[in-house]
Amino acid sequence: MKIMPCPLNGPRNISEFAYGGEVELMPDPNTSSSEEWAEYVFFSDNPAGVVREWWCHSATSYWFIAERNTVTDEIVRTYPPSELFKERVEFKKESE
Amino acid sequence: MATTQPAQHLRRSMIYRVLTEAGAEFEVLADTAVAMRYADGGDEVVLARHMGLADLSPLSRTGFKGGDTPDWLVTQHVAIPDGPGQARRQSDGALVLRLSADDHVIVSDLHARSELPARLEASWQLSAGRMCYHMPRAESYCWFVITGECATEMLAKVCGVDLRVDKFDEGRIAQTSLARINAVIVRNDLGTTPAFYVLADSASADYLWPCLVDAMQEFEGGIVGLAALRALV
Repeated sequence: MKIMPCPLNGPRNISEFAYGGEVELMPDPNTSSSEEWAEYVFFSDNPAGVVREWWCHSATSYWFIAERNTVTDEIVRTYPPSELFKERVEFKKESE
Repeated sequence: MATTQPAQHLRRSMIYRVLTEAGAEFEVLADTAVAMRYADGGDEVVLARHMGLADLSPLSRTGFKGGDTPDWLVTQHVAIPDGPGQARRQSDGALVLRLSADDHVIVSDLHARSELPARLEASWQLSAGRMCYHMPRAESYCWFVITGECATEMLAKVCGVDLRVDKFDEGRIAQTSLARINAVIVRNDLGTTPAFYVLADSASADYLWPCLVDAMQEFEGGIVGLAALRALV
């Protein structure tokens, strides 16, 4: 059984989790080109080595970040998103 | 207390038909009906001490979530648990479950004497400047309790978390997979009898109940009514 250490709930069976994609910083939607936005939304870097990924603990709907080695499938570290994202992202309305 | 039928009440357990088929005798409790005992004539208190399963779904419960929820609950004179994954008993018997830093569930006591869930729902108002949101847990969660000295052995069949009484202290909460559905499991002993509250998706109650009944067969466990649980405390 593969175990994922959830930052909120502790170690749990991997079957309780859902993968949410690589962690990427969002480009500014007001100034980015269509290519940059498409790259952010649709594409992954998929490197060999340690990557930062979004994971969700299904039982609690808790999203967190895991650093995982894609070569060995070792989970290096997990932590809450607040370690990376300190502020709420506000989107400007088109009329502004 | 007067016996009644669940269908006479607007609010009733999600599994009242299953309980009725099992021979439940219902009694009026506030605005609903609760399975107080079963008609097979056995000693349910002895059964509950060994391995019992009861439905508490008709009892009141509520929830509040959001970054300002802990502060708001404190202003409402609620003694909140110190951290996530812990439960704390209130002076009136209600139990406050802290599921995460900002997510709290408040469940009634077995006698339904606590007015805390109703009082908090009456006090709460949506406020633009305050991140505190009402979660109607009475509708979204069913509420079962598993009791007895064999409870942890039975739970080990359907849950991957180590819930043995020497590993999982009273007042601890595990949010995990139980019989392959998501559930909140709270250790809340009844007197000296180990007991685990189970809160799970109400739409899955009809699935979860027979799974648990099946799992406890090998331990010669059985379903018990609320009267037996009250006798344990």
